[in-house]
Amino acid sequence: MDNLIQIVSILAAAIAVSFGAIGPALAEGRAVAAAMDAIARQPESAGTLSRTLFVGLAMIETMAIYCLVIAVLVLFANPFVG
Amino acid sequence: MALDWWTLGLQTLNVLVLIWLLSRFLLKPIAAIIAERQQAASRLLDDAATAKDEARQIRDAAEQARAEADRQRAAALHKAEHDADLARRQRLQEAGAEIERRHQQAQEALDAEQQMLQTAIEARAGQLALAIADKLMQRLPASARVEGFIDGLVEGLETLPAETRQTLSHPGVSLLLKVPRSLTDAEHGACSAALQRALGHPLKLEVSVDSGLIAGLELETEHAAVRNSLRADLARLETEMTLNDLQRP
Amino acid sequence: MNESPLLTPTLFHAGPVPISGAVVVTWLLVAVITTASWALTRHLSLRPGKAQCVLELFVETLDNQIRDTMQVQPEPYRALIGTLFLYILAANWSSLVPGIEPPTARLETDIVLAMIVLLASIGYGVATRGVRGYLRTFAEPSWVMIPLNLVEQLTRTFSLIVRLFGNVMSGVFVLGITLSLAGLLVPIPFMALDLLTGAIQAYIFSVLAMVFLGAAVEAHPTPKTLENKEP
Repeated sequence: MDNLIQIVSILAAAIAVSFGAIGPALAEGRAVAAAMDAIARQPESAGTLSRTLFVGLAMIETMAIYCLVIAVLVLFANPFVG
Repeated sequence: MALDWWTLGLQTLNVLVLIWLLSRFLLKPIAAIIAERQQAASRLLDDAATAKDEARQIRDAAEQARAEADRQRAAALHKAEHDADLARRQRLQEAGAEIERRHQQAQEALDAEQQMLQTAIEARAGQLALAIADKLMQRLPASARVEGFIDGLVEGLETLPAETRQTLSHPGVSLLLKVPRSLTDAEHGACSAALQRALGHPLKLEVSVDSGLIAGLELETEHAAVRNSLRADLARLETEMTLNDLQRP
Repeated sequence: MNESPLLTPTLFHAGPVPISGAVVVTWLLVAVITTASWALTRHLSLRPGKAQCVLELFVETLDNQIRDTMQVQPEPYRALIGTLFLYILAANWSSLVPGIEPPTARLETDIVLAMIVLLASIGYGVATRGVRGYLRTFAEPSWVMIPLNLVEQLTRTFSLIVRLFGNVMSGVFVLGITLSLAGLLVPIPFMALDLLTGAIQAYIFSVLAMVFLGAAVEAHPTPKTLENKEP
């Protein structure tokens, strides 16, 4: 049974990270597209837009990081193992 | 998983200490220096504003002083013009007065000369008149030179004031009768009679001959005189003519 | 790869007290930051040099951020927010030094930082409105919201912890994997990305701390979104 739990844990971690990456990837794509559009419209405000874009990307990326944390938790601190 | 509680506690301590240290060594001094610079800047601005105000005041004062100087200069100029005008007018006035005076003097001199001439002419005219009258009298009968004037003498006596006539009436008074030529007895008698009639009492009559009378009788006493002669008439005429001449202009 | 990033290995024991690597690195960071600021602020003058200009720019930016985000005077919050930003930035960037693992990659440090923010928000809220006034903010807009507000306090603190921890830890994790696969030159882009992530995370942590404090202090919080803020 220990083996099964570990296999499931690894599968769960992989699924968490992969599916957890989909949403933030789409969101970041939209955010970057919108930012590029805005910069193309207003090149003079490119500085402010890019700074805001970076912060927004970091916030979106945090969603993926949450999934990564869950994966790490499952892998290294699995409460059902040991 | 298990938390390391010691690490937790120590990190808490570390972060709190770091907060205090940074507040003490970094943030407060920087904030203080920023505030100080702001104060200094505002003070400098205030100083600049004060200096600007002072400069403006000085400029205003200078402007005022200049305006004052201008005003004084204008006043001085005006005064000088006024003085000059006054002096000129005074000079003109003096000159006018001088001219007037000279003119008057000349006029007076002229007048005096004219007067003198007039007087001379009149004197000549009087003499001429006398001579003419003398010549005319020569043609008349000799009696006319005396008798024709007795009535005039009486009238002259009557025109005298009453008091004078009283003094004449006094018996002791001697009357001087001036005649142009020595009287005949008839003439003397006629004169005495006329005078006696006029004065009311006999009187002592002295007779003196004065050919300058030309014709007529004149009575003289100590107090009064009756001019009743051709000479006196001519003299009166002459005086009146002279008076008329003087009054005419 | 067998080493769990969730566990904090003990470096040595000082008497009965186990000292971990994160604590030692934090001590070093405290010493370096304090010494640097003491040296830089020792000769402040009204005519600033380059270093003083940079420091003043930093402090003024910090003040402006606090003023914009919290709508209050920055005086009481400057030390907390500034220290959070500087410490997280220094900790994140300390991974550049070989052999040093950033303290923020350990869960305990992030918990400590987030708990300090939580306690500070409670403390400033109580100090500003009094105990009853602060407790009444949990019943806004109505008493139905009380459980939700309580949960929000916990979840946002938890998200603060996990955001910082996950970002820094993942950076370290990816860097370790890259190093184990290819030693030379390959990790450099990842290190650059780590620098960017570290700076952005320090800024985000500070801004979120400001938002939480502002929400606790303000009567009607108008939490500023993260747009229009300079990192």
